[in-house]
Amino acid sequence: MSSVEALHDQYSQELKGFGASLPDDLLQGLQGLSEIYDQSQLEQWVKIGVSLAHHSLRSWEATSEFFRVSPEVAKKLTFSELKQWSEIGTYLATDASLMSVAFIKATPIALDSLNFDELDKWAKQGQRLCRGNWKSIALAALYFQQSASLLNVLSLELIDRLVDIIDQLTERSYELANSVLESSYDIFSNLAEEDREPFLLFAKSVTRASWADTRLYFERGPKLIESISSHERTIFLDLASKVTMDVGRQGFPLFVDAAQSLEEIPLEDQKALLIFATNIAPSSAIASMEYLKSAPFVRSRLTTEQMERWSEVGVELLKMGNAEGAEAYFRLESSRAEEMLAALSARVELPSVSSMLRMYAKALSGEQVAVLSSEDLVDRNIGWISEAAPTTEGTTIYLPPFVNTFEEQDSNFQVYKVFTTHQTGRLEFGSFNYTFNINGQHTESSAELRESDQLQHRLSSDVENEEDDRSSQTVSTEIQRYFNLFDDRLLISGIFTIVEDTRVGSYVDREYGGIRKWLQRLQNWEVDRRPEVRAMGLRQAFVENLLRASLGRPDTIRWPQDQYTTMQKGIRALQIVNLEDATVQDSAEVASALYDIAVLIPNIPLESADVEWEPPDEEMIQIAPDMPGGGEGGEAPMPASGEELDFENPDQPEFRGEFKPELVQLMMKLKDQQQGQTDGTASPLTKEQLMELLQNSVEITINEWAEGDLASSLGMFLDNLEKDAGTPAGEPKEQSGESGDERGGGDGGDDEELPVEIDWFYYDEWDFRASDYRPRWCRVGERLGDEGELDYYQDILQKHHGLVMETRRQFELMRPESFRKIKRLEDGHEIDLDEAIQFYVDKKAGVGPLAQIYTRRNKIERDVAVAFLLDMSASTDEEIEKQRQKYQEEEEDFQDDPSKYFQWLAQRRARQAIEPPKRIIDLEKESTVLVVEALEAIGDSYGIYGFSGYGRDNVEFHVIKDLEEDFNDRVRKRIDKIDPVRSTRMGPAIRHTIQKLDDHDAKVKILIMVSDGRPQDHGYGRDRTEKEYAVHDTKQALNEAKRKGITPFLITVDKEGHDYLKQMCDDIGYEVVDNIESLPRRLPTLYRHLATE
Amino acid sequence: MTTTEQSQGFKQLAVEDFRISEEPFYLPISDEVELFESAYEQKIPVLLKGPTGVGKTRFIEYMSWKLHKNIQDGQSGVPLITVACHEDLTASDLVGRYLLEGEETRWVDGPITRATKVGAICYLDEVVEARKDTTVLIHPLTDYRRLLPVEKRGELLEAADGFILVMSYNPGYQSALKDLKHSTRQRFIAIEFGYPDRDQETEIITKESGVNPSIASELAKLAEKVRNLKEHGLGEGVSTRLLVYAGKLIHQGISPRRACEVAVVWALTDDLEVQRSIEEVVTSIFEE
Ligand SMILES: Nc1ncnc2c1ncn2[C@@H]1O[C@H](COP(=O)(O)OP(=O)(O)OP(=O)(O)O)[C@@H](O)[C@H]1O
Ligand SMILES: [Mg+2]
Repeated sequence: MSSVEALHDQYSQELKGFGASLPDDLLQGLQGLSEIYDQSQLEQWVKIGVSLAHHSLRSWEATSEFFRVSPEVAKKLTFSELKQWSEIGTYLATDASLMSVAFIKATPIALDSLNFDELDKWAKQGQRLCRGNWKSIALAALYFQQSASLLNVLSLELIDRLVDIIDQLTERSYELANSVLESSYDIFSNLAEEDREPFLLFAKSVTRASWADTRLYFERGPKLIESISSHERTIFLDLASKVTMDVGRQGFPLFVDAAQSLEEIPLEDQKALLIFATNIAPSSAIASMEYLKSAPFVRSRLTTEQMERWSEVGVELLKMGNAEGAEAYFRLESSRAEEMLAALSARVELPSVSSMLRMYAKALSGEQVAVLSSEDLVDRNIGWISEAAPTTEGTTIYLPPFVNTFEEQDSNFQVYKVFTTHQTGRLEFGSFNYTFNINGQHTESSAELRESDQLQHRLSSDVENEEDDRSSQTVSTEIQRYFNLFDDRLLISGIFTIVEDTRVGSYVDREYGGIRKWLQRLQNWEVDRRPEVRAMGLRQAFVENLLRASLGRPDTIRWPQDQYTTMQKGIRALQIVNLEDATVQDSAEVASALYDIAVLIPNIPLESADVEWEPPDEEMIQIAPDMPGGGEGGEAPMPASGEELDFENPDQPEFRGEFKPELVQLMMKLKDQQQGQTDGTASPLTKEQLMELLQNSVEITINEWAEGDLASSLGMFLDNLEKDAGTPAGEPKEQSGESGDERGGGDGGDDEELPVEIDWFYYDEWDFRASDYRPRWCRVGERLGDEGELDYYQDILQKHHGLVMETRRQFELMRPESFRKIKRLEDGHEIDLDEAIQFYVDKKAGVGPLAQIYTRRNKIERDVAVAFLLDMSASTDEEIEKQRQKYQEEEEDFQDDPSKYFQWLAQRRARQAIEPPKRIIDLEKESTVLVVEALEAIGDSYGIYGFSGYGRDNVEFHVIKDLEEDFNDRVRKRIDKIDPVRSTRMGPAIRHTIQKLDDHDAKVKILIMVSDGRPQDHGYGRDRTEKEYAVHDTKQALNEAKRKGITPFLITVDKEGHDYLKQMCDDIGYEVVDNIESLPRRLPTLYRHLATE
Repeated sequence: MTTTEQSQGFKQLAVEDFRISEEPFYLPISDEVELFESAYEQKIPVLLKGPTGVGKTRFIEYMSWKLHKNIQDGQSGVPLITVACHEDLTASDLVGRYLLEGEETRWVDGPITRATKVGAICYLDEVVEARKDTTVLIHPLTDYRRLLPVEKRGELLEAADGFILVMSYNPGYQSALKDLKHSTRQRFIAIEFGYPDRDQETEIITKESGVNPSIASELAKLAEKVRNLKEHGLGEGVSTRLLVYAGKLIHQGISPRRACEVAVVWALTDDLEVQRSIEEVVTSIFEE
């Protein structure tokens, strides 16, 4: 019997008592070890196992594992080391046998990465996670399971960090701790070695700052840092850790954003950014991350040096200790940052120059042009497709959203100016005014001749051409009829564009000498970027050469030597439109002649053949304008062999942009049609005609229709066109007589009342997008206010008795200072020295004039008229109590004391029972009463009006007291009936009030509007939420008042920042009444100030 | 009748001095010269209406030179007496007053009285500025009676033959408050003065400023463009007067851009954006 068997037999019995499989495990271990250990060592080994089994309740499981893996372990450890290892297993079993099992089981693999000395440390890391409860035991076991492989990718030290993280997570969620641990191997094995430590360090900061983000970080982190240059990842992660230590839970989101921003930055440029960020991090961690976040945007506008200068300003802020300022700066949320950006950037943005360019275009053309971004035009889907090219559709000039062509800002602005001037030139010099068969200044029209030739040709030709049925088509525009003359529409449209742009360019050059320099610079810029002519088919090369000549650079023409006269003829014809008074008719005729030349040129590439492409000689550059004659001079025949290429029109130079005369004329026509201005002869266009026109037009690129079915795309397109032509229709739909009986208020039909007498007035409205008025856009219905009870007025007087007295007294006090002197009175308070002397002299002379030598300050002389305009919109129905609640309730803290809260509730309810909650309108009314009392004391003329309404056709204007009207009981009764009605269209109401004041004779005129600050009405802006339109119109109306010598003043009782007007009213008197209830007191005081100044 | 002496504190000029003896340059814009001549012949008062600086004053000077009338000494032209109206203008200021001379008093005619007596053109510039009660004074002078009541002397003066009352009035910037009373307005025929067209303006600028015609024409072009901006905070378009100023500066050697800046852009408006737009028009037209 071998020693192995003997030992097995000896201990089997004892071991079986712990677990049935133990004897087998023992045998397996003994067999594996018998080669390595001697008899006594084997015995000692078995005893270790047995004592481990005896150690604690389930420690025999560890024994089982111990027996099984010992042969493996023995290969790597000496016997004494193995003994010490077993001791580790034993002390782990003291905590939890499951952990010990995992430890023992993982040891063989762990020993691949660990020395014996490190075993204990490793075991202690696992032990740290074990806290006695089963979740922690499972986690510790998992740790040993995982760390065996983790040890391949992380040093023991780093694992220690990882354990820190996991340990921290266990305080919140074991589930999270588990999943982090489980994913660790995958994550770290995929990270580059040098990234592992910083990744882990940042993970620690994240966990500490906001444990829940750890999972996100482990999920997304590796991907996020992938886009950062490998050299810089460490810097970035270190920075992120520092930031997170500083700012806590904000750190991780900042990291994510910054990483995403860095992704947009080329690898080689990241370093500089990261170094800068790291440098400022000590002053403000947030600023450093915000800097990284903004970097891509800033870089897109600035060069590296400029960006440095831009950043310096933020650094200055940090140095001054203004961290918040610097953060906002780097976040691009400070106007300083934007101003710097704009100042440094060479790029010019359209919004910053559009209103100025609009005025400029208006000055040049004398037309009501608007300036918008080309993107807007593309969005309208009416045939224009380039978002970056300038163009015009006849009423608006469209410009690219920004210009970045040159390196200096001013140059880019000049580019905008050239763009605008050229587009304005198309309007100013009549590019869209082509009329069929009218002679030009220098050419005779051949259009009619061509048309009859065409007809003749078609009649005589036997072949019925099914597709080409243009002759049967009724043409809708003049230019279309012109284009119809040519078989190759693409060619004629391309040539016409070049010729007409040449003409406009010439005009601009002559008329606006000041931008000549820039025009030339852009022309040269374009010429430098033209494609190689030699590679083109010959016909295309011909057209391309025309374009070069048109850009003022005939010297860049390249053309086969033996065909030179053809090119010469072309250039000569083109020169005609450079003549001083050439018109669009000349352009059309020149284009026809050029077309005739071009169609005869085969579009064959000549590059390979040994053709000499020559630059032009002096003569060609100086060539005189002339139309091509009929007879041909001896020139080599056009090459006839070779394969024809597809003809394409040359790309339009950027500064000329898209040119679509056919669409423009069509839109004009549609517009006229919609405004009922058809010239009588032409019947309105039918849908079919329009469709046909669109189908034939080459101004709409075919591929736009390629997707989906052509007809329906065209249909939609047509709808857009018609809509577009219809938008600015300025006329209100119907016009009733100047005065008429009409029910006010639209649908308010449930209670029958007598018809109110309404006078209608029309006013323009300001459309800030177009920077222009919409003529007669709003209809204001003036009516007398309804009458209520007299008691209301008396009640208010009584309630505010004290205030009324006080106000009156104040008003009486203001009299003397504000009253004007009347001169030449026979009796008065003061003597006028000049008059007295004159009187003395007169007396001496024997003429006995009246002794009008006194002056007096008199009430009659006080020449003030004031109109109060009260907002009667539905929003004034809001209870003040409710408004205030929103503020106070949050402040009042009943949290700990519910009884206090109930007490407060009860009190409030009681208060409300005695005195119903007040609405804004109530305060408006009370203020009115006070003001009326005060004004009656002082004798100024005043009017009180209320306004509301719905939609532009029905602005309600209620007269409570007209300027001329005397104060009486009817007025008192009307005040009672000032009630919230509908919407707030302030503009027309103000304009109507202006009208009233304007008709009234007074030296000082004041308009005071009391509102809740929310101009809002149906169709008062693009949609209900848009405030800008309404605000701009209101502001404009107030400016109109100023222009009429009226002092406008606004009082709003808004507290919730609904006050959209305030921002607009920088130069208009304005007050937000803080404490709403102080309005009745405030209004008279304000008036006093206004009327004395 | 005319007085030439000087007396303390009151400077008088002889009526002869009001006469325009050299032909002023005036370029007729439309038929205003004939209209005025006919009105003068028929003794119909004239109201010159139009924006500032379009030549109303120059026109009246020219007419005063052009109209040959019963002047004893055979000098050319009709005397022109101009009164710049303002708020504090009193009836005495117009009609005349007594002055103290030692222990004596002496009556001195006001401008309107003098004009009435010598048969001059009496030109009330910016008449709306005058108080309404002052304006009423001229009513009897403007109807068929052609009488001027001189209250202090208890006289009624009948206007001499060549007398005509002319007022100027700029409808643009007056507030409605200062509008003329209808009863005043309807005593005058109104000749409207608009801006000259480009060629006419070119000629005026050339003659008035000495600048060469091509620059003058560019200035006129500029004016045309700027006038397109009327509603944009520009109460009025640029006046011919300002263009003449610009021309004069250019003639003195100031660069056109700079001259336009000071004479046109800044003179017209304080609104920065409008200024900038006009400046861009200037730089588009002038190379330097
Ligand atoms: N038709 C004209 N012919 C000659 N000069 C003219 C003419 N129109 C304007 N001018 C020039 O414009 C200047 C200003 O004209 P003027 O002083 O007559 O203007 P006005 O209409 O009287 O202006 P205001 O209303 O401001 O008094 C003149 O000095 C003259 O140089
Ligand atoms: Mg004048």
